[in-house]
Amino acid sequence: MAECIEQSRVACALGGIYTALAIDRVLPVTHTGPGCLAQAQGIFGRVNGGQSPVPFEESVVPCTDFCNTDVVFGGGEHLRTVVEKAIEYYDADLIIAVDGCTAEIVGDDIEEVADSFEGSRIPVISAKLPGFVGNNLFGHSQILKSIINQFLEPTNEVDPLQVNVFGIVPFYDTFWHGTLERLEELLIAIGLHPNIIYGHRHGIENVKKIPSAGFNLVLAPWVDLDIAEILEKKYGTPYLQFDNVPIGPTETTKFIRTLVEYAHLDQIAAESYIRKNEDRYYYYLNRQQPFIYSCKYVPKDFYFIGSASAAVSITRFMVNDMGSVPLRIYITDNVPKERQEAVRASLYDVELEDKDYEVIFTEDGGLAEAELRKEHESRSVIFGSNWDMLTARALECAFIPVCAPYGQTLLGTKNYFGYEGGIDLFSDYYGEISVNPQVAFIG
Amino acid sequence: MAVNLNLQTSECRETRLGSITGYHGTLKDMARQGCEGCLKNSKRDFSTGCSCSHSHCLDQLAGLEGAVIIDHSPVGCSAGLCGYNRSLSSSFYESKNADQKRNLKIFSTNIKEQDTVFGASEKLRSTIQFAYDRHHPKHMYVVSSCVSAIIGEDACSVAEEMSEELGVPIGYASSEGINSKIWASGFDAYCHAVSKALLKEPSEKKDIVTYVGFYPKGRDHIEWMFERFGFKMLFLTGGSNLDDFAKASESKAVFGQCGAQSSYLCGALEQRFGVKYFQSHLPYGGIGVERFLREFGAYFGKEDIAEEIIKEEKENYAFRLAKVKKKLQGKKVFIALGASFAYEYTRMCKELGMEVVHTVAYHYDPHLDNETPDKVAAASDVYELDQDVPTSVNDGQNMETMITLKHNLPDIVISRAHRASVWAIKQGITAMEVRIGLPMVGYRGLVEFGELVIKTLANTNFEKKFGARYIAPFTKAYLESEPFSFIKEAQNG
Repeated sequence: MAECIEQSRVACALGGIYTALAIDRVLPVTHTGPGCLAQAQGIFGRVNGGQSPVPFEESVVPCTDFCNTDVVFGGGEHLRTVVEKAIEYYDADLIIAVDGCTAEIVGDDIEEVADSFEGSRIPVISAKLPGFVGNNLFGHSQILKSIINQFLEPTNEVDPLQVNVFGIVPFYDTFWHGTLERLEELLIAIGLHPNIIYGHRHGIENVKKIPSAGFNLVLAPWVDLDIAEILEKKYGTPYLQFDNVPIGPTETTKFIRTLVEYAHLDQIAAESYIRKNEDRYYYYLNRQQPFIYSCKYVPKDFYFIGSASAAVSITRFMVNDMGSVPLRIYITDNVPKERQEAVRASLYDVELEDKDYEVIFTEDGGLAEAELRKEHESRSVIFGSNWDMLTARALECAFIPVCAPYGQTLLGTKNYFGYEGGIDLFSDYYGEISVNPQVAFIG
Repeated sequence: MAVNLNLQTSECRETRLGSITGYHGTLKDMARQGCEGCLKNSKRDFSTGCSCSHSHCLDQLAGLEGAVIIDHSPVGCSAGLCGYNRSLSSSFYESKNADQKRNLKIFSTNIKEQDTVFGASEKLRSTIQFAYDRHHPKHMYVVSSCVSAIIGEDACSVAEEMSEELGVPIGYASSEGINSKIWASGFDAYCHAVSKALLKEPSEKKDIVTYVGFYPKGRDHIEWMFERFGFKMLFLTGGSNLDDFAKASESKAVFGQCGAQSSYLCGALEQRFGVKYFQSHLPYGGIGVERFLREFGAYFGKEDIAEEIIKEEKENYAFRLAKVKKKLQGKKVFIALGASFAYEYTRMCKELGMEVVHTVAYHYDPHLDNETPDKVAAASDVYELDQDVPTSVNDGQNMETMITLKHNLPDIVISRAHRASVWAIKQGITAMEVRIGLPMVGYRGLVEFGELVIKTLANTNFEKKFGARYIAPFTKAYLESEPFSFIKEAQNG
């Protein structure tokens, strides 16, 4: 298979700084060309539900604007000056100096630059993010590893009910913020003490609390397992992997029961929570059946094109709760070879007798369009990113965006997490089918 | 003679035109220094990121009908191009080509670490072949990146070889972000590539005027004027095809949306095919269109027609213009825009009776790519209209713009695309993103703009309340700093 990529659904490693930008008052200082961040901004910000980081929006992220003279003379001193000014001008809790391709090739020592600020008003750490080494998921991991290895202090106080949440990659998972807010509510409801480092009302204090967790929760088929493994080794914190962000009653109930069993939580209270929320889910679905079964074609199959994390969430919900069948699943975010079998296993772990669908690992998003244009089921549904919208329209399929780049719309608090997320996705799904006469109209 | 199509690549603006990204003072002083050849660039000791030439080369090439782009780079250098995809708007280019309903076709060669050691020419070759097999395009472009340039890839030769092998034009654009502080250098790289790959010798000269810009949108503002002169219009914009480029040399006149995006292609047409490049007076607003039409009319010996059009255009909008001027008289405006439109809007705002408190230009070109010694439009305004305004030049440095804004509290900020508006709104200041290009032509463009400013200022509750709740994540040292304190020594080049 060719190594080239059409329709990239990932950014380069520098896109990993969105993980830093998602932590309140953490400021990356980029030792890169002037436009590197703008590329990630397109896919994770502007065309991803109109999101931008708060408080450090992209256009004020300090950057050395690496240029030819830095290639010739080295850019280390240039970076040092910009970090110095950043400390003077920004009200930040932590600065992460990061580099990109050019500084890496030239060999600028960003670690030395970061170390030289020891004892400064704002702590400075560093992370290497060359795009030729990996994509934004590699960058995400590099940022978290830098924070763990260079910033965290060990602790003797462990709260057995404290759970750190990993596996949801801010911005790359378009729905990250809304998901984390709802997840936090759920974890509190079943008796845990969630510690979430990203988003509104969280921040550096949550970061500092990472070592005191009773366990780490990884909500993903593979992302952040490396982080959980490091934390286990470093602080002895065990981790629990649940292989997806649960959508709808089947997965969410399973998720709650898994947590209850693992953390020895109050089973009766949890079951009561489950019952109440499942009832509510089916109450809402009940209201909408007459709309669906009113001279409409109801698709029973779907294609998925996008991240491994979203693939598992969507596949579980669509198969287990919605009664649909995957036709083909394209995973476009370069899952490491050693993790691919686990992802594949997750994608076939569904309540379905005949699992006659293919899972394709490719970074080439254009492959999906090329193959589907040759041959596809008509009146189906495509789950993917904005790259798939025109393809879906051309193939007369419905289209539901679930991955970055999500599209040019405002996201608000939108997410598909949990029971309520199931209701929302159910509604978006049938809503989209209904407004596409080529899919829904039966004459 | 600025354009040199014999070179493999376009030279960056700094060396080709003496363009700058660091200055503060007045327009008069800057234009004068620019004309006298003594304008120096100032560097900063603190900077933020913004945009690079690479991405602006890619977005222009990708918009052409039937084109496939090969980005010879690591995975992320074209990731942001989803922001230009046709899925976002089906009417970007007002083109009826089927192509407009399909995704942009951009491939990354996906340069990896081992390629930085062993080279990636084979990867480029196989990507071109792969992309050709997938799409069978009519034309292709190879665009180099920072990484391919630093590791010394000869992407141009590969493009030439593959062009011969596949029998399709494969243009080469050298557009590395580290090569120029001015993202408009990427527009030049696009222009250089299409000039070499697509322009053809004319079989005859026709009464055609070519427009070079982002979009043909707003053509109804100006097409009727050229029709009065007996000219048809040809558009070299996104959505244009091979045929449009092949015909461009037949035209007798060319003008561009602005000096940043259009100068190089206009200059190439003038230099190679004698197409007169009109750049000293841009047709925006009332004063702008009058001077543009008089210059155009005089060149073709049709002064009387120019006067007729001006009279008609002026009369058509006189009533609305008077109303707009009355309401906007004395309103304070702060402008942050690209090299040309920063000063076009400065003139237009003044034409409407507004007070321009400060103008930020994202770069400044003391010269453009025209063959004649004519001044650039901003300098023409200085010398012909005695135009002046406190001004600064920064490449989208919003930390600098923000402080400048704090010292010049305006009624409204007028900007576009590079987030100066965002930082205005956060501080409780009303802002408006404005149009550029043909929709701004003439008294019509001026009046429509003025009416929008009036609407925007009619209710400022949102930004007032939003601004009051906003907590700036910056220190006192920054918030109380003097404007332009980042700017250090000025230097040549």
